[in-house]
Amino acid sequence: MRKAKHPAIFWLFLAPVLFAFVVVIVIPFVLGAYYSFTNWSATARVGDALKLVGLANYAGILRDPSFTYSFIITVVYTLLNMIAINIVSFGLAMLVTQKLFGRNVYRAGFFVPNLIGGLILGYVWQFIFDNAVPSLGTFLGFASWADPANLLLAHNTTALLAMVVVGTWQYAGYIMVIYVAAIETIPQELIEAAQIDGASTFRRLRSITLPMIRQALTVTLFITLVNSFKQFDVNVSLTGGGPSAMFLGQPIYGTQLLAMNIYNQGLKSDDMAGGQARAVVFFLVLVIISVIEVSVNKKKEVEL
Amino acid sequence: MKYFKVFVPILLAVFLGACARPPQHITLEQNKPEIDAALKAYAGVWSTANKVTVTVKSVGGSSGIDLGTQLKADFAAGDMPDIFAISGLEDYKQWANITLDLTGEKWINDTAVPFKVDGKVYGFPVAVEGWGLAYNADILKKAGVDPLTLDNYAAYKAAFEKINGMKAALGIKSVVSMAASIDMSWVTRDHDLNALLSNGLSYGDMSATNDLLAGTVDAKRLSEYADWVELMFKYADKAVLTTGNYDAQVGAFASGKAAFLHQGNWVDPNMAQAKATFAMAFAPYGSSSQPTDGIFVSAPSFYVINKNSKNIPAAKKFLTDLVYTDAGNKYMVVDALMIPAYKNVTLSPTGQLSKSVQAWAAAGKIYSWNQYNFTQEFREKTLAPIYNQFATGAVNKARFIDLMTKAFEGLKK
Repeated sequence: MRKAKHPAIFWLFLAPVLFAFVVVIVIPFVLGAYYSFTNWSATARVGDALKLVGLANYAGILRDPSFTYSFIITVVYTLLNMIAINIVSFGLAMLVTQKLFGRNVYRAGFFVPNLIGGLILGYVWQFIFDNAVPSLGTFLGFASWADPANLLLAHNTTALLAMVVVGTWQYAGYIMVIYVAAIETIPQELIEAAQIDGASTFRRLRSITLPMIRQALTVTLFITLVNSFKQFDVNVSLTGGGPSAMFLGQPIYGTQLLAMNIYNQGLKSDDMAGGQARAVVFFLVLVIISVIEVSVNKKKEVEL
Repeated sequence: MKYFKVFVPILLAVFLGACARPPQHITLEQNKPEIDAALKAYAGVWSTANKVTVTVKSVGGSSGIDLGTQLKADFAAGDMPDIFAISGLEDYKQWANITLDLTGEKWINDTAVPFKVDGKVYGFPVAVEGWGLAYNADILKKAGVDPLTLDNYAAYKAAFEKINGMKAALGIKSVVSMAASIDMSWVTRDHDLNALLSNGLSYGDMSATNDLLAGTVDAKRLSEYADWVELMFKYADKAVLTTGNYDAQVGAFASGKAAFLHQGNWVDPNMAQAKATFAMAFAPYGSSSQPTDGIFVSAPSFYVINKNSKNIPAAKKFLTDLVYTDAGNKYMVVDALMIPAYKNVTLSPTGQLSKSVQAWAAAGKIYSWNQYNFTQEFREKTLAPIYNQFATGAVNKARFIDLMTKAFEGLKK
C-alpha cells in the first residue's frame, strides 16, 4: 500500500493549530521543566539570581505532607466524579433519546451548565449550599438544614462530596452529548429484534446498548478522568481549599486538590520552582494513568 | 495615483500626530475592594486634569485571589503596575529589587508613618487603620454591659456570658460575628494573631514578635491568647464562623444580629451601604488577663512606585496630589472613608468606626500592627489551618496551643 504524500496545503491548514499548540503548550512545558531544577521565585527579592539547584525541589515534594494529601484526595475525587458523571450523563442520554416531547430543549438545557465557567459555578453553588439550603430548610420547617454543623461545606469530607456534585453538574451535559451521539448510532434493527425475542429493557441495555457504545465509553472515561484530575476553578470558588484537616499530625487545607496545591506553592509560598516541580510530577502521573485507561478500554471495544 | 497622493499624507498625519503626543498611562493596583468605586472615580477626575490615564485594579476580599498573588502573576508576565500596595516588611522584601527610593518627596514631612527601610523612604502610607472589637453600643446598653470595662479577658468572659443569656431578648443570633473559614483566614491568622504579637506592649515594642520569629514561645502569653481565641469561637455564629464570607460576617453585625464584630474601621463603607445607623465604636481586645487599654492602630498599607515604571513623574504626582489637592483629600476622607495619615489634611471621616480609631489614637492608646513581619507562606499555609481546626472543633484548646507552639518553634533557623 502506497502512503499518500502530504501536500503543502495539508501543512498550511495545520499550521495555525500547530503554532498555537507549540507556543502555548510545548514551549511553556519545556521551560517549566527546566525551571523546576532552579530556584526561581515569583518575586523581585534582593539577591535573587537564578541558579540550578538540581533535585532539591523534587525532594521538597516528598517532605511536604500537603502534597501527599492533595494527591490522595484528588484520586478519590476523580474516582467519585468519574462514576457520578458517567452514571448521571448516561441516564440523561437514555432519557433524551426516548420519544419525549421537547427533548431537543432538554438536550440544550442539560448542556448549558458546561458553558458557565467553573469559577461562577463554584460561587453559585457555594451560595446554594451555605445560604439557599438553610433558608429553604427554615422555610419548609426542616430546622436541621439550617444547623451549621450540617452544612456540606463545613466539613472537609462533605465538602469533597459537594465538589463532586458541582463537578457532575458541570460536565454531565457535555458527556451526555457524547453518549447521545453513540446511542443514536445503534442500529434500530438490533433493538427491534431483541424486543421481538422478548428481551426486557434491562437485558437490552446490558447486551446491546452498552457494548455498542464502548467506543464512546473510552472517550468519556478519558475526558472525565483528565478533567476531574485537573479540577481547579470549582475548587477555588466552592471551597477555597476548604475546611482544614489533620494529616500526619499537621493541620493542612482539607479539600485542596492537586492543581490548587501547585498554584498555592507557586504563588502563595513564593516558590515558583517548587510549584513547577509539582506540576511536572502531576503531568507524569496523569500521562501514565491516562495511557493505562485508554489502552485497557481500547481492547474492550466492539468493532461493528 | 490620485489615491496614493491623498492616502499617504493622511497616514503620515495620523502617524506624526500619534508620535507627537504618546498617551501617558499609569496603573495602580491595590487590595482594598471597599474603596474601589471611590478610587476609580477619583482616578478618572485626576486623569482628565493631568492628561495621564490611570487604570485602577482592586484585588482582595477572599484568600483565594489576593494582591500578593496577583502581583506575582503580573511580575512573571512583565506587566508590573506603576504603583502598587504593600502591607509591611515581608511584602517589601518580596519586591525590594524594584521599589523606587522616595526619599525627598514633599509628603514625607507631613506624615508620622512613612515606610522606611535603612533610613530610606520607600512607601506612601495609604490611610490610618485600626481595629479592636467593634461593638453595637445600643445592644450593649440594653444588655447592661459597659463597654468601658471591656479591656481584659475576665471582663469579656462575663460580658459574653451575660449577653449570650439574653440573646432572644436582644434580638441577636450570636454575641460576636467572627469568621474563621479558610477563605476568611486573614481575619484569624493576620488580625487576631496580632493580639499575640502586640496587645499590651508599648507602640513599636517588637519583643514578642522577635521572640516568635526566632522560635521562642512565651507559654503564658500564648495560653492567655488561646483563652481569648476560644472565647471568640465559642460565642460566634457557627455558620458564619465555619462557612461565612466577608459579606456574611459584616452583614450579621450591620443588621443587628451580632453584638460584636471582629473587623476594623475599613468596614465603614460597608456599614454605610447597609444603612447601619446604630451607635458603634471599638473596645480593646481582652487577650490578656491584665487590662490592655488600647486598640491596634497603624498605617498598614503603603503605595510603592515601580522602579521600572515608564512614567515615574506621573506616578509621583498622583501620590503627591492625594495629599495636597482638595480633590485628593476629599477622595481619601469623604468618599473612601479613610483616616488620613497626613497632618495637613483637615477633613475628618464621617464613619463611626473611623472616628473611634481617631479617638483612641488621639488619646495615645494604641498598639502596633506586627503580623506582616511573618511571611505570607507561614501565615497562610501553617497558621490558617490551625485556627480553622480549632474553630471547627476538630482540636481542643490544649491541642491548639500545642500546634501553635510547634508552628512557631518551626521558625527557628
